[in-house]
Amino acid sequence: MAPSVAAVDSSPPSTSDTTENHLQPVFVLHKAASRKYERRSTGTTKTKRRIDLSPSIPKTLEKADSESTENFDDDHCVNLRMEAFEIVWTKIESTMKDVIRNLDTNVFNEIHHWVLESFNAIKSFGTLTSREATQTFPIMKDVSSKQLFTGLVLTKNVEFVDDLLTFEELGHYLKSQGCHVANLSSVDFTAKSGIGGCLRSFLRQFVMASLDAIDMSIMASWYREQGNYNNPVVVIVNDIERCTGSVLSNFILMLSEWVLKVPVILIMGVGTTLDAPKNILPSNLLQCLSPYKFTLRTPAERMDAVVDAVLVKQCSGFIIGHKVAVFMRNYFVGQDGTLTSFIRALKIACVQHFSMEPLSFILRGFSLEEDGQVLHDGLLSKMILKHAFNLPSYERNKIEDQSVERFATGLSELKRLKNQWGTMVSCLYEVAKGDKMQLLDLLCEAVDPTSYNCRTCNAHSKLEKDMGSSSSNDCWRRQYPILGRGVFICQAVRKVKDLPASQLWKLLKRWEELTMNINEIHEKIRELLSLLKLKNDKSSKQDTVDISKRHASWNQLNIREGLQSGKCKSCYINGVHGLVGTFILSPVLGLFFFLALQYRDYMQPIEFLPFHEIVCFKNVDKLELALMGDPRRRIQVDLLEFYKMLRCSCCSRSGDTLLPSMHDTSIMYILAQEHGDHINLHDWYNSFKSTVLCPINKGKNKSKQSPLLKKRKEINEPNKQSKASIQYPLYLIL
Amino acid sequence: MAKDKEEATQVSRRATRLSLSTANSTNDIETAKSFNSQTLTLDNLVFGQEPIGLDDLLSCFPGRRVQILEILYLLGTIKSSMPPMFIYGSASTGKTSIILQVFRHLRRPFVYISCLSCYSPRILFESILNQLLFHKKDAVNGYSSVKKCEKPSDFVNFIREALINVIDSLKENSKKMSSSKLKGQVNGRMIYLIFDNFDLVREWDKSSSILPLLFGLCDILKMPEVGFIFISNSSPDTYYSNTGYMEPILVYFPEYTEDDLRQIFLRNQANQKLYSSFLDVVLRPFCRVSRRLDELSTAFSTLFKKYCEPLSDLGVVPNEDMKRRLFSHIQPHIAHSLNEIFSVASQPSVESEANQETRKKGSAKKSVGSGDFDEIDFHMSTSAKYLLISAFLASRNPATLDASLFDSTGGSNSRKRKRNCNLLINHFLLRVSEKSVERREAEEEELFMKGPGTFSLERLLAIFQCITSVGEDSFGEEGGADGVTVEGESNGLMSDVLLQLSSLCNVNFIVKGGSCPLEGSTRYRSTVSEDLALKVARSLKFPLSKYLFRR
Repeated sequence: MAPSVAAVDSSPPSTSDTTENHLQPVFVLHKAASRKYERRSTGTTKTKRRIDLSPSIPKTLEKADSESTENFDDDHCVNLRMEAFEIVWTKIESTMKDVIRNLDTNVFNEIHHWVLESFNAIKSFGTLTSREATQTFPIMKDVSSKQLFTGLVLTKNVEFVDDLLTFEELGHYLKSQGCHVANLSSVDFTAKSGIGGCLRSFLRQFVMASLDAIDMSIMASWYREQGNYNNPVVVIVNDIERCTGSVLSNFILMLSEWVLKVPVILIMGVGTTLDAPKNILPSNLLQCLSPYKFTLRTPAERMDAVVDAVLVKQCSGFIIGHKVAVFMRNYFVGQDGTLTSFIRALKIACVQHFSMEPLSFILRGFSLEEDGQVLHDGLLSKMILKHAFNLPSYERNKIEDQSVERFATGLSELKRLKNQWGTMVSCLYEVAKGDKMQLLDLLCEAVDPTSYNCRTCNAHSKLEKDMGSSSSNDCWRRQYPILGRGVFICQAVRKVKDLPASQLWKLLKRWEELTMNINEIHEKIRELLSLLKLKNDKSSKQDTVDISKRHASWNQLNIREGLQSGKCKSCYINGVHGLVGTFILSPVLGLFFFLALQYRDYMQPIEFLPFHEIVCFKNVDKLELALMGDPRRRIQVDLLEFYKMLRCSCCSRSGDTLLPSMHDTSIMYILAQEHGDHINLHDWYNSFKSTVLCPINKGKNKSKQSPLLKKRKEINEPNKQSKASIQYPLYLIL
Repeated sequence: MAKDKEEATQVSRRATRLSLSTANSTNDIETAKSFNSQTLTLDNLVFGQEPIGLDDLLSCFPGRRVQILEILYLLGTIKSSMPPMFIYGSASTGKTSIILQVFRHLRRPFVYISCLSCYSPRILFESILNQLLFHKKDAVNGYSSVKKCEKPSDFVNFIREALINVIDSLKENSKKMSSSKLKGQVNGRMIYLIFDNFDLVREWDKSSSILPLLFGLCDILKMPEVGFIFISNSSPDTYYSNTGYMEPILVYFPEYTEDDLRQIFLRNQANQKLYSSFLDVVLRPFCRVSRRLDELSTAFSTLFKKYCEPLSDLGVVPNEDMKRRLFSHIQPHIAHSLNEIFSVASQPSVESEANQETRKKGSAKKSVGSGDFDEIDFHMSTSAKYLLISAFLASRNPATLDASLFDSTGGSNSRKRKRNCNLLINHFLLRVSEKSVERREAEEEELFMKGPGTFSLERLLAIFQCITSVGEDSFGEEGGADGVTVEGESNGLMSDVLLQLSSLCNVNFIVKGGSCPLEGSTRYRSTVSEDLALKVARSLKFPLSKYLFRR
């Protein structure tokens, strides 16, 4: 279906993702750029497509940059953006790789350790002479000598795409530790190629010679040569569930027969449960295995780590808006559940962002300390400024000053706030970790502008009310519907309240590390830490504080005022002092209020900040379209608005009336619609094919085009457009 | 089969000693280096290690005296030829080991072919030829065989040639030996071809040509100096579909008796008394389940460790009181390992840590208010879970009940559903009163024997559609509280169902069956256990049990 990508025409955008197509397991048909045939010699296809996209910048922007768009489309700007994309994406990608690799190191070490142990166990049956090692008959040793050491690696995910990389990495790791490693996958264990096929791909990874008759004796003599025999041979099978049971069991039998001569250690990936090997292997085989279990990180954990590194921590500056985040989360939870597809979605988002947002090239230096650099590029800077001050986020904030300096400070402010935001999110995540809460959920909430709004105002009034009343757990929950179930941030905050002192101490310590970069919060946390210490020292005798006493102290300390008018700085400080006071009595509660304050001040969602459009991708529709596509609807729209596709002048003004010059398919479709028929596109296509293809079957080289040409005969079109009509059958296949 | 490790213990003691001594005398690296230049001779056709006497041989294999003597008798003297011999008996009864040790004892040359390692006719032919022509695959010759040989006719020609050469040199060798009275390595003028795991040959290309060829090789070659020995797990009756070759002499290896097993296990134990008391406890129950030495030895090795756990000194001689104590200690483990042949070990530290964590998690959950403990411990996307449940339902419930369980409105009308449930219950009650209990039992049994039913893709999708729309209600509630639900969840869930289906097929949760002879479409079958299905349903908060039809 690849050709369809390179096909035709016109307005609907969604093209840039075609560059992503190699990642997709199933191709979704998209239209290519309209001006393809008038391509200038300078640009690559990629950049051209990008250019085509810019007119369709989200509506909010459209009016603002109607005139400036052209400027941003010249090659210079496009190249700048492309470069920036390359830089940003490389950075994100390498960060992700590192993160994932780090996640696995522990398990890898464990596996390596076990491999060595097993190897020693095999060796303990005695050293073989070279004659023994290559003889055809088995070596008669202890009964248990035929046991094949097998590591079952639980990948914790039904989908196996993510694990391909993991097992590859594992292979590299073990190789670097001196093992001989062969990576096999279920493709090698098919009934079709049989045992010969899997032996072949096993041996090919060690023995260079091209062989036609392959058996284990080759492996045995290879192993004896050139000092190979001091290291174990590790065979990694990616996904045991997908293997054909009979082939796999033959392979295992063979390995176990030779295990003393070739000390093979088997590592198998298991996607579901430990029952999987029992289900596909016969029982007499299971007792040749001496299994050992390893567990990889769950997809959710991986996801959290990646999200943390890429989106929460300051990685590249690029970030996604609330809707996009929610969409990606739902896609992960509901549909796919693989990190691979998440990363793909992120990449698509990134591409789209850089192709749509004229100022996105600023991101290049965003994470570095060179914000101002581009701004001094004379001509460009004017355009930038004009565009930047037209951004809705800037207008919303109603700042009049429109100078370069203003823009620069705005940018650095944005950076600072984003940094704070990220820190706070990771602090919250630190709390939520034990609770099976996912960072992605937390993130979704943290970037949500609406919930931030209501939460901040609610929290204050509620907090205030609560001051006077009781603070028992139930009451707490009743009074804070927003703290109810499902709201992750509040759940996290509430959890802090429930923490025992020792864990609280740990948590604060961890926060101290996290907030290293933000002085204000850091200071406060240190303060809290010292207070907690003080309190612990003091109150070793009296652990529980009388509730009534607490109430008294609250009123006394006037926290209410502090919280109420939290906007003004002095009151805020007041509040903190109050907090400190409370803290002495009840550190947990103190921390709770502390968090509430922090939340308001430091966790402004990114979409509130001026200039956020530059770094933030918000267009969820584009992303959805790129990821899922909507071929069926697209076909129908195309059928109705065929003149846009075909660019013929004759039919475009026809409106709803049928014209003889119309495309046959369109005529039929319109008629069917008028008649109220439901059509089945696939049947349609088939009937077309049968009626049209039959008479012209002889001319084989022509057969592909001719039916369509025939249909098209009335349409006055240059040759280039023939692709347009070919497109239909391709759509219809879907 | 080569699983006969019974002699193991004694032999292994001997073998390790031997191999150690040889290893000491020859530096491994040197041998590896000189390996390429080393030429192979007749010596390579005999068992490599120093020969053993008859007494040793017999004592190696308790309970196998009769068989060993029979084989020795059949092999006869140095010069006597022998008809093909067919050794059979169930797995792990000592066939391969005894044959190999007998040849070690006799010091006669042989060619050993395991039909397991030589998995195709070509590999088999080439392996035989390689051994007869003293050829070793190595880096120098590119790991290739001495001759390329695919056709049986070629093989017969080649092997005849090779055998004549070998027999000639054997003759010379024995002349030399008799003249010089030196005790050479190789003994006798016969050469034997041993085919191990012979039952596997039956599966190669439906044994159309290879089986008759190998059985008839003796007749084809007409060489009295060549002896044939076949070792098989299955009895000769299973081979007789194609006759016309000389009937071999049968040697049967029966299963070990309990006493034999006791003797075998007792050899080589450091503390005989202790182990004997251990065997008193475990051997009898296990023997009822299996007498395969390999199975028993794996089970016993872990059990014995458990058995010794309370003991500080392993050299202790147990008295009655201690035996009783140890027995009560081991008893709970016996039943478990009787049922479980596949126990997966894992790092104890990790395990306990994980346990602690879950415990912690559990308590934390309790405080939050929602605790579900037994969850599925791997990740599946929500739509895959729904699909799994619908497949499970489609397999369990008879198709005729679908209409009453899932109404066409997509389950949104819960009252209607309830009524239907009532109807169903009434129906059920009627049946109970109507039919006798035995009849019902018979039906249940029949259902059990049939296993999960098959279903078409359309039915699966219909059920999927219904239960997702039901599930959405609960979904919606949750989502409302979240404030982060997406609109059009159902569309989202439906979108790539076929992809999910294929990944469920991949992990064997759903099995693609053959196509239905009437409709011609592919049928599916769900193979998940009810347990797992319930767990999945629980994770979605889907009331699965409501939808399950029970007789």
